[in-house]
Amino acid sequence: MPPFDRTPQQNKPFKQRKSFATRKQEVAGIRSKFPNKIPVIIERYEKEKYLPPLDKTKFLVPHELTMTQFVTIIRNRMALLPSQAFYLLINNSGLASMSLTMAQVYKDHQDEDGFLYMTYASQEMFGH
Amino acid sequence: MLEWYCPSIGVAGWSAENNKQDRVTIVGMDAATLTYDTLRFGEFEDFPETSEPVWILGKEYNALTEKDEILSDVTSRLWFTYRKNFPPIGGTGPTSDTGWGCMLRCGQMILGEALMCRHLGRDWRWARDQKQREEYISILNAFIDKKDSYYSIHQIAQMGVGEGKPIGQWYGPNTVAQVLKKLAVFDTWSRLVVHVAMDNTVIIEEIKRLCMPWLDLAGEAEGEGEVNGCLEGACALAEEDTALWKPLVLLIPLRLGLSDINEAYIETLKQCFMLPQSLGVIGGKPNSAHYFIGYVGEELIYLDPHTTQPAVEPCEDGQVPDETYHCQHPPCRMHICELDPSIAAGFFCKTEDDFDDWCMRIRRLSCKKGGLPMFELVDSQPVHMVSVDTLNLTPDFSDSDRLERFFDSEDEEFEILSL
Repeated sequence: MPPFDRTPQQNKPFKQRKSFATRKQEVAGIRSKFPNKIPVIIERYEKEKYLPPLDKTKFLVPHELTMTQFVTIIRNRMALLPSQAFYLLINNSGLASMSLTMAQVYKDHQDEDGFLYMTYASQEMFGH
Repeated sequence: MLEWYCPSIGVAGWSAENNKQDRVTIVGMDAATLTYDTLRFGEFEDFPETSEPVWILGKEYNALTEKDEILSDVTSRLWFTYRKNFPPIGGTGPTSDTGWGCMLRCGQMILGEALMCRHLGRDWRWARDQKQREEYISILNAFIDKKDSYYSIHQIAQMGVGEGKPIGQWYGPNTVAQVLKKLAVFDTWSRLVVHVAMDNTVIIEEIKRLCMPWLDLAGEAEGEGEVNGCLEGACALAEEDTALWKPLVLLIPLRLGLSDINEAYIETLKQCFMLPQSLGVIGGKPNSAHYFIGYVGEELIYLDPHTTQPAVEPCEDGQVPDETYHCQHPPCRMHICELDPSIAAGFFCKTEDDFDDWCMRIRRLSCKKGGLPMFELVDSQPVHMVSVDTLNLTPDFSDSDRLERFFDSEDEEFEILSL
């Protein structure tokens, strides 16, 4: 039973809510205002049933923040227990090394629009 | 009733249709002599004749020349399946785990393998009707479907309640790993440390502290008589056992993709089965949990818990009727791309040297090109992780104000994190 429902606003992924041009413009604007922050989009996996939605999708994070710190922040936001599974997948594909800084992750994985996209998910359950 | 469940039994590479034909042939040939065994195992493909290496829990085999050795190795693993007619869980609960217990059974299999490595050694082999060693009987008894066995379905299901899983609910690999970690504390016979590495990170220092807790004691309380007593106890243990190290079961729950496994992980996953410390991987296909014990070519080799067998009672002489605890048909296989991305990889390090060796091998693998590391190995917990709640994580208000002015037409604001 999914304990949480998405808020209507979050139904569509960020990329589908805004055009490429809008997103690119948004990054340009925010980067000029905050050159020392990285624009990150973090969204819940569409089939996620156990982790709650976040109230924010868009984050500006310091370059030197490590993935460990970032994950800890998100885990704390959701009030997860340390034993609960939580994974952040970059660009819907791979797990980021926790010791990397956001600047390193951004360098390798930023989207063409200038955002860094991450999706969070727990684990699937098995039975039938 | 036997359950014929083994999804895409085509068992690997062969289509279900081929498989059906095989079954028809077998049944046709032996119609007059149909037995329980032919019925039960007739539908399993034989192991493939291939020159590609076969890896089973850290051992390499040649499928052309060592088929008997492969099957003997597989049969020697503990095979835990759905059971029926066991005492009700919690006194009034279910008497069968058919339909919900598959991941719990996979947890039993991976821990069972650890106990075998711990008490009998990786090279121990099972033979039908052989006199059972005392250690072997103790291992089986730890999993018998009764409330007081260390790792029974009863114990796992009830301990899962604390992980937010009411009895009868489906588990994920992490759920069962967390439960086994809690249950292992009560198994004073095996003295295992079950460590579940979270956030796809293995921290060496953390593991060494867990497996050698007396090191912390020694450092903290120098010169205190009481603690010296503990140290002496630790040394006494060292004499009777392998050095100052509690045998380690390392479980690493992972998510190697969202809906499908990211192919960049496939080579790394295979390498897991090549390490001598390998306990295999628990995971499955969507909805069906399997215990993966190795691979050949692009196929994973696994033990499948989806067969319901009657619960077993130990005999009066203490021996356990164990035929149903060993998979005596060729093991199931499936293409590695069918793997659900949610898994937990397991490793067993009986000694500190085993663990150091494992770390060395993992480091060597992560330097190799091709294949994405599934987890990261680090020496110590990053200092900032310990005190992360003291970080200034509240939005920077001056920034926020500027931001809102700048983006006042937007539907969503950025949240600004500062160090």
